[in-house]
Amino acid sequence: MALQEIRVGSIGRDVKGRGVFSEAQRTIGIPALQDVKTARVYRLEGITEEEAQRLARALFVEPIDQTVAVNKPLVIDTQKVVEVAYKPGVMNPESASILKAARDLGIGLVAADSSTEYAFYGSVSAAEVDQIVQRLLMNKTVEHVVVKPPRTLLITGEAGLVATVPIREAIDQQLLELSKDKLFLNLEEMQVIQRYFNKLGRNPTDCELEIIAARWSEHCGHKTFKAKVVVDGMEKLPLFTRITETARQYFGDLVISAFEDNSGVMRFYDGQAICGKVETHNSPSAIEPYGGAMTGSGGVFRDILGTGQGAKVVISTDVFCFAPLALDPATLPEGCLHPDYLQRRVVAGVRDYGNRMGIPTNNGSVHYHPDFRAKPSVIVGAYGILPEKSAQKGQPRVGDFVVVIGGKTGRDGIHGATFSSGEMTERTAHVNASAVQIGNAIEEKRMADAIIEARDCGYIRAITDCGAAGFSSAIGEMGENVGVTVDISRASLKYPGLSPWEIWLSESQERMVVAVDPNNKTDFLAICRKYNVEATVLGCFDGSHRLQVMFGEHVIADLDYDFLKHGLPQRTMKARWEKPVAAPETPEFRNEWIGWIDALKKVLAHGNVCSKESIVRQYDHGVQGTNALSPFGGIYHDGPNDAVVITPILGKPYGLIVSHGLNPVLNRKDPYWGSVWAVAEAMANYVAVGGNPDEACLINNYIFPVPDEMYMGALDESVDAVVDCMHALERPVISGKDSLSSTYRGNGQVIQIPPVLCISVFGRIPDVEKTVTSDFKKPGSTLLLVGHLDPSMGGSVYEDIFGPVRNVHGEVNNKVPRVHLGVLPDVLRVVHHAIQTGKVLSCHDVSEGGVLSAVCEMSFGGDIGAIVTLPRYVVDPDVFLFNETAGCFVIEVENEAVADDLFSELPYPYIVLGKTTREKELRLTSNDAGPLTVSIDELKQAWKSPLQKVFQ
Amino acid sequence: MNERGPRICVLKTDGINCDEEKMHAFALAGGRPSLVHVNELRSGDIRLQNFHILDIPGGFSYGDDIRSGKILALELTTFLADQINDFVEQRKGLVLGVCNGFQVLVRTGLLPFGTLDQMHATLADNDSGHFECRWVNLKVNDKSRCVFAGELHEVVTFQVAHGEGKFFAPGETMERLENQGLVVFRYVDVLGEPTQAYPLNPNGSLNAIAGICDPTGRILGLMPHPERFIRRTQYPNWRRMEDIEPHGLPLFKSIVRYAAQM
Repeated sequence: MALQEIRVGSIGRDVKGRGVFSEAQRTIGIPALQDVKTARVYRLEGITEEEAQRLARALFVEPIDQTVAVNKPLVIDTQKVVEVAYKPGVMNPESASILKAARDLGIGLVAADSSTEYAFYGSVSAAEVDQIVQRLLMNKTVEHVVVKPPRTLLITGEAGLVATVPIREAIDQQLLELSKDKLFLNLEEMQVIQRYFNKLGRNPTDCELEIIAARWSEHCGHKTFKAKVVVDGMEKLPLFTRITETARQYFGDLVISAFEDNSGVMRFYDGQAICGKVETHNSPSAIEPYGGAMTGSGGVFRDILGTGQGAKVVISTDVFCFAPLALDPATLPEGCLHPDYLQRRVVAGVRDYGNRMGIPTNNGSVHYHPDFRAKPSVIVGAYGILPEKSAQKGQPRVGDFVVVIGGKTGRDGIHGATFSSGEMTERTAHVNASAVQIGNAIEEKRMADAIIEARDCGYIRAITDCGAAGFSSAIGEMGENVGVTVDISRASLKYPGLSPWEIWLSESQERMVVAVDPNNKTDFLAICRKYNVEATVLGCFDGSHRLQVMFGEHVIADLDYDFLKHGLPQRTMKARWEKPVAAPETPEFRNEWIGWIDALKKVLAHGNVCSKESIVRQYDHGVQGTNALSPFGGIYHDGPNDAVVITPILGKPYGLIVSHGLNPVLNRKDPYWGSVWAVAEAMANYVAVGGNPDEACLINNYIFPVPDEMYMGALDESVDAVVDCMHALERPVISGKDSLSSTYRGNGQVIQIPPVLCISVFGRIPDVEKTVTSDFKKPGSTLLLVGHLDPSMGGSVYEDIFGPVRNVHGEVNNKVPRVHLGVLPDVLRVVHHAIQTGKVLSCHDVSEGGVLSAVCEMSFGGDIGAIVTLPRYVVDPDVFLFNETAGCFVIEVENEAVADDLFSELPYPYIVLGKTTREKELRLTSNDAGPLTVSIDELKQAWKSPLQKVFQ
Repeated sequence: MNERGPRICVLKTDGINCDEEKMHAFALAGGRPSLVHVNELRSGDIRLQNFHILDIPGGFSYGDDIRSGKILALELTTFLADQINDFVEQRKGLVLGVCNGFQVLVRTGLLPFGTLDQMHATLADNDSGHFECRWVNLKVNDKSRCVFAGELHEVVTFQVAHGEGKFFAPGETMERLENQGLVVFRYVDVLGEPTQAYPLNPNGSLNAIAGICDPTGRILGLMPHPERFIRRTQYPNWRRMEDIEPHGLPLFKSIVRYAAQM
């Protein structure tokens, strides 16, 4: 039976078409293009045309504002029609919904797909149409232009079986060949494997090699973080040991679980706990930003879901680093996507996953640097709540069932070796073996609902998510203390034709593994059924202390855990950080007093400072009804706040606060002080809203280039900085991740992406009433600068725009600002206590853009002005006004008497900056020159417009 | 939770995600909410007749695939038409749909004219072309037929969070809506006047419509989220105001009180 085709278009205004039209005009500029219209195309398999007509009427078209064509073209007034569809094998989440709805209507579809048709109007050339399609409407990794409609939507194939790999007799050269591009292990590691199988007297199966390679990979094994580090000939403790051993000293009775579960867990109130996890998702996002961002979010949400016996996700965060949006496309390395496209698609991916899951996305930031042109950094975080009694990592017991729940398994995310590729059929060869997936948020949402209900019923003994290496890591790690046997021929597949090792290693999204007591199996499966969640029993934890994988009666893998866990030899990494040779000096820069209004506007419009409201508004940051301090506030809801505060238990005043800090520019210039800056910034954001610095926990994420000696040195410095900060603040890191692959090689070009240390902070406060926002509350208040300002301008936004700053004596001021760790903890405590009194009217921390930008943002929120007076001792006004030392605050209080009262115990005296004013203008005064005045609205316009243009 | 309060069926299915805050709002207002999966209604394990109020929360039911709320609407009209007709017509039950719930009610035909399985209006893509989360001002039409909007302030501030919220209907339907007093909420500007200006009217709805009821006044649907403003600290600017009363709570109290009197 032929496929039935239904096309649905809009009557009247076509919003999506208009969007494509204005995007094409903004980013490419095609005067001949007059209009774009869109239509949805539905292809249905296994039904008659009459049934298709019925489905069209009942399901696909709403005659009020839509028009339909069945098995014929919809657009007849232009020839320039292009259809963009997912490639075969990329699962379109809409397909399952179409099948369900048709089934509800009593129509049995065999398969369904949907795609989009674009019709172009005006005298545009075929080349221009092609340019629009390639640049704006499709991504070649997952989509294609439909030239000839498919004859079937079904993917068929025959599965290959198990193969053995002859490594026992292999010489070193052959071992390296085997590893290269497939297993990514070094010779020493390959030899360890060879010796192991020689001892066993047999060769490994393809699957066994894959299991070992995955387990021992950098991604799962963190070999660099666990390696011996030799710095300039001196041996130092492994990075991981330094972090965890320091952290343990500060767990107190607050930390419930750290470094062992899928997220770090700390105590909350009323017998509840909160947990946090931050992940990077750079490579997938670089190739397919929409799908990559979605699966990044989906993965980190599952880390929270898979904590303890299951946690509810209550906050989603996202941090992006891109090249500047105005980047000349000619400077883009081959195979890299333009940052404008990347940013829009990453934002869309985070939006569509978080919003559909019903998780508020309410903390994040965006950073720009030209060296991100080769690869963006996409950092996604999630926070959850769970009962304390369910907060310890679960351990399966002998006899428990291995149950996989959620999505089906496909050939997703499988890279590397295809030992059995010869056995793949012609059709499967068309299926992109390493396709980036399009996440299916609804699949994960219903799974999340089922998990929470099952947890509350006590049916979950242990749970973990299928992330990297799929079942292999999830089931493999869950079974490591007891042993496990599974039959993966039972796994539910997206399409036939997967070889056993592919099923075992598949990274298909939205799947989790649960250990279930046999007595609870029936009830657990019933809960899954209620929520439309597929659940399959794959095997059981059997007490064998072995990992045994079957495919029907065939043994696919049989390995003892002792080897998997302890076989990997420790690496030794040499490290040597050298300060990068300074770039040729650009002409000296000294700003004249009169030029500062212009300078301020430029700083406010800089990507690292400008308003991100256009992005945040696309995220549902209010769902769950928990927000107590939103990303934006103030008269017009456009004043940015420093952190988010939620009340995760509805009806209770208890607050969960989340913030973060990072600065890739500083890290490259000086990894130690750049990293200290990141910690100080994260803590300052946290304290600025009312967070208690003594009840906070940290998460550290390292996104660094491949660690050659130089970057290993940078990493060593960065970790030492984090360790020193933990000691100074007496707060522990309780979770983290490293991703050491930010190096681009291509066409003889090597680009080291700026090293990023992202520090996230989360913690608790007993009452959200004692929190404060950044918007000025009233005219006539006194403005203070609290904290220790280091007069260094290296890495600042000001320097980025105007070049190195010279002081009055002609010396270059290009050092990274050093946060005074001796002073910072007390500053944080004093600010916290001041906020507790309720006498702090508004508070904002100093970060990118400096002191003056902070004052402006507070003005924007409060919709009133301010007078800022330069302190008498300041000889370099720009070094003061645009200084970015983290750990400093601009604070609004009633008057100077209140200031004295609140801040007399500061280790470093505060500065009176000025006053808020009824006039909506910023007025700068100094001893030496007359006042400068600029309207707040003018500044606000400069600050808002950069991203408004992109996301309008 | 009030042990005698009216019982509320808070409907759940794949992708519904504003259910917990809805449960909380109804409980705070003195009702007895239960979370009911649509599968439990389809199987007959739970029956609608045991409830006074049917609530369809916001979210992305079935991913909002094809169109927002479409597949859940189809499921309700296909499998639960008898139960719903009985609930609405015989038992005079109350129905509330917020955001995705409103989209479902419009696509079942229950709004605006109570014609199950026959659509008269639609909620289309926002004119802006994308999802949008922001606080908006709404004027409550004091002449509407809605039986439980009377206790709300004249102008309320709620959060919207949707991508498909543009209310649209043919001219004659719009006239009927207006003439019969079925428009309950409109997006308004700072002066309290209905507006088509973005972003005050966040989606371009005709006649600035944000919420409507059916001719009996017992079925109400709206795009903005009253359940996100039932405690003062949920509003971003509570720190700027003296003792503000949460704008959304009176709506829930009023529905619960009306149901209790039935």
